[in-house]
Amino acid sequence: MARTGPAFRATTRGQVLLTGSLLVLLAFTVAPLYWLLIASTHNQHDIFGRPPRLLPGGELGTNLTHLQTSVGFGRVVINSLLLATTYTVLGGIVCTLAGYGFAKYRFRGRGFLFSVLLLALVVPTQLTIVPLFKLMVNLGWLNTYQAVLLPNLALPFGIFLMRQSMRALPDELLQAGRIDGCGELGLFFRVALPTMRPALAALAMYLFLFQWNDFLWPLVALRDPSSYTIPVALAALTGSSDIDYGQLLTGTAVAAVPMAVLFLFLQKHFVSGMLAGAVKQ
Amino acid sequence: MSLALRERSGGRGEAPTRPAGPGRRPGRSTARLAPYLFILPALALFAGFRLYPIGWSFVLSLYHTEGMTQSWTGLGNYQRLIHDPLFWKALGNTALILVVQVPVMLCLALGLSVALNSALLRWKPLFRLGFFLPVVTGLVTYGLMMGALLNQDSGAVNWLLGLVGLPEVHWLTDPFWAKVSVMLALTWHYTGYNAVIYLARLQGIPDEHYEAAAVDGAGAWRRFWHITLPGLRPAMLLTVVLSTIGTLQLFDEPFIMTGGGPDNATTTIGVYLYQTGFRYFDFGYASAIGYALVLIISVLGLIQVKLAKEED
Amino acid sequence: MSGRVVGEPSRRTFLRGLSAAALAAGGAGALAACSGSSGSGAVTGGTGEPSGSITVWSWKNPAAELKALIPAFNAVHPKVQVNVQDIGNPAIWDKITIAMEAGGQGLADLLHIGVDYLPSYIEKFPNGLADLSQLGANQYADAFAPGLWQTVSRGSKVYALPWEANAAGFFFRADLFKQAGVDPNTLATWDDVIAAGKKVKAATGVGLFAVDKSASQADSANLLQLLMQLQGVFYFNLDGKITLNSPEAVRALTLVKEMNDAGLLVDVQGSPGTTGYDTAVKSGKVAVCPDPAWYGGYLETLTPDTKGDWQLILPPAVTQGGSRSAIVNSTHLAVSGTSKNQRAAFAFAEFALTRPDSQVSIFKAKGIFPALLKAYDDPVFHQADPFFGGQKYAEVFVEELSKPSAPTNYTSDYARALKAVDDAQTKVLLQGADPATVLRAAATQLAQQTRRSQA
Repeated sequence: MARTGPAFRATTRGQVLLTGSLLVLLAFTVAPLYWLLIASTHNQHDIFGRPPRLLPGGELGTNLTHLQTSVGFGRVVINSLLLATTYTVLGGIVCTLAGYGFAKYRFRGRGFLFSVLLLALVVPTQLTIVPLFKLMVNLGWLNTYQAVLLPNLALPFGIFLMRQSMRALPDELLQAGRIDGCGELGLFFRVALPTMRPALAALAMYLFLFQWNDFLWPLVALRDPSSYTIPVALAALTGSSDIDYGQLLTGTAVAAVPMAVLFLFLQKHFVSGMLAGAVKQ
Repeated sequence: MSLALRERSGGRGEAPTRPAGPGRRPGRSTARLAPYLFILPALALFAGFRLYPIGWSFVLSLYHTEGMTQSWTGLGNYQRLIHDPLFWKALGNTALILVVQVPVMLCLALGLSVALNSALLRWKPLFRLGFFLPVVTGLVTYGLMMGALLNQDSGAVNWLLGLVGLPEVHWLTDPFWAKVSVMLALTWHYTGYNAVIYLARLQGIPDEHYEAAAVDGAGAWRRFWHITLPGLRPAMLLTVVLSTIGTLQLFDEPFIMTGGGPDNATTTIGVYLYQTGFRYFDFGYASAIGYALVLIISVLGLIQVKLAKEED
Repeated sequence: MSGRVVGEPSRRTFLRGLSAAALAAGGAGALAACSGSSGSGAVTGGTGEPSGSITVWSWKNPAAELKALIPAFNAVHPKVQVNVQDIGNPAIWDKITIAMEAGGQGLADLLHIGVDYLPSYIEKFPNGLADLSQLGANQYADAFAPGLWQTVSRGSKVYALPWEANAAGFFFRADLFKQAGVDPNTLATWDDVIAAGKKVKAATGVGLFAVDKSASQADSANLLQLLMQLQGVFYFNLDGKITLNSPEAVRALTLVKEMNDAGLLVDVQGSPGTTGYDTAVKSGKVAVCPDPAWYGGYLETLTPDTKGDWQLILPPAVTQGGSRSAIVNSTHLAVSGTSKNQRAAFAFAEFALTRPDSQVSIFKAKGIFPALLKAYDDPVFHQADPFFGGQKYAEVFVEELSKPSAPTNYTSDYARALKAVDDAQTKVLLQGADPATVLRAAATQLAQQTRRSQA
């Protein structure tokens, strides 16, 4: 990069201009989220006051206490964390194995099976909820966590993502491993998996987000309020009248925090993981 | 589940299975079985918990239903679709969002990713996080936030407009502005996500390509046109396909912001399907709406993939 | 695992073709044939003293009140364990509907259901709700406000007991009317209301009613529905035929349009009890809340600083000398058809809904207005309320609810009718469409969707 004369000045000017305009855009993007965070520290009255509150208030503790007494929020957050983590681990295994199978082997029925998977991607989930519910009742699984977890473990988009990433893996690497006498499972664990860290990060983020925010299915599959997840518990707060927005917005703000933290940790991997997903050879 | 088993036994018998590429050692049955074992967990779960409900709902689309009262109607529900003005209105709204919002959002995401990739930009991790953050908000969060911010009387957006001397906008209550609001919300929600996908791809384009072009005297615009855009091709295909599927199934945003109103101005296929099944208890008809949608998505998806292939 | 799962095989075959296809698709398909239903006939839960545990689904305030009743209930029925769950509204409708669609399996034992859903569940899911007549429910046929029994029963079968009855009211800001020199007690018809509204607007700048013109909620046409009910018509007649296109309906929507054209309607997002509507009321933008009984108690907590400014009359008649009363909505408790303990569930519903003490304590705590006639004897319904300038506000509703009243036929297509009416009203209020034209179109569309004929 030129460090002398007009070119240097132009670079600096460009830097300021670009960074400045992106900052403005960023302000618009995070403003609603900032509002949400601020709102969670105010009471019902101040949230909708005019002008809007721009600085934190002192009601966060009160709102959290109310949340704890009305829906047992602490328990609910733990449920959500447990469910989303378990789902991410199990779903990650299922999707990664399948993605590898579809990407690195040629076998009878591969094209057909993969198309069927993709078809499932486009069927609206609202249509499948009733038969799924019936199935869970008959299995005696209603109000269990396996009822919430199992139906979505083989998530078509997750499989799709892993298959795309695995295709970027050179076949020569696998061949070399085979010649060295490595078994198929060994190849997967020792050769394929280590190169897939970015894709795995992307998958983990996607799966965690999916389970964390999923609403309709946990609502109908879970029955005992002590097993509720965050979105389901918050829905109970939106009665037809007399809604306490202080509580509600605090709950939603708390719900957004773990996701942001997770992204922060995974973002470096995640960014290049989406790349792998986008590679098409 | 039986589907998976059948595939497994098929694999054992006919043995067309082999690892991709040359140099396969013949006679290794584990290698032949391996792919089926890898996809077995996914297939078993998929057959049990997805394929069966999908089949169930498809068969239901051939029945006239009123709650639990069901009678065979064949293609009756699909014929009814053709004469249902609300279905066409919902389809029109969905199509409008598809042709207006998706291109705008993807262009924005493209610009954003190029900016985020620029050597001139400082504080990159901050920007990446900031632009990605909207993706993490779920349905409940999102609905409360948008409803409160866009509220005509007490919302912060109209308050801001008032500060700079602009008139109040009926964001959610005017048919035109309600459409705009839904599109704005979608753009807010997903632009960062798409930008991150582009960004990942941009980082994979070797610097040498740009340097060579610079040596040839190509300006910034030509470099963008001849190197950046072609390099982004696969990522663009992915985002176009994902956005198309997402838009055609669009439910969350209109449902929680406007409930599909006013006067169906923001009723999408997804919202109409939900109302039909869950409010009017007409699951047969709702299924028909869903499968008409599946047909449309499949056709559009095939066209997109085909176009992309032809251009290659 | 709650252990409340019902898995008994069905005597009816559900969608034979469907299970066949499902069987072809996968082994799990065999399960589709099991749609558990208790069928008609035997009542579950043994005989004699009810025992065992039951689950109740409700939402927010009513759920809290049901919980509060448990100790008293257990003093009478010590062997029944009651578990009340607050599902939230509207989430509860998704939950009940999905379980109903799945053959009634997985429902709670006792369900709190509003009038907008009850007829659909009764008619569209024949075994979804238990027939309570076998548990002796018929003895309560005359215990509730007239007109409600028809809503919860079909022939000799009874599917629910009424809980909350909301009669129409006309809460007005006496201070604003006084400023405009109008005495609301002299308003005889809605033409008078419009004339008075113009005076109030001129004198105080305040509008008459708050209306969700863009219909962001399903119940946005409350005012229109009230104007129709006051004329003795609804969206359907007693034979289930569509009456959206009736002269009375056109008259009602024309009145709403007139008010809108005169600038008397304040546009809000949301219906009574949600932020948009309540904020308009609280900030003094409207002079009248044409809302049902529960809104009275709600007003007291919503705007404590307007104490003494509010008063109440019955809504004026639409035509001179016409009716001034209408039950605009109600909620009910129903026992699910698949409940394994219908006897205990009914015992709890009976305790909560037919015992005056229960209903009085619920009214005192949360202002939920009972349908139970005997509850009205309690002094709480006859005392002067300083918030309403010393008026005995509850008594107004007690009188309204005790009068003979024509039943309203909500039908199983109420949700569809509401949607058609909402859209028609939006076209009139936002785009100035002609009431008769949009109602004709709405009636035609509704007839097409529901296969009902027009009256």
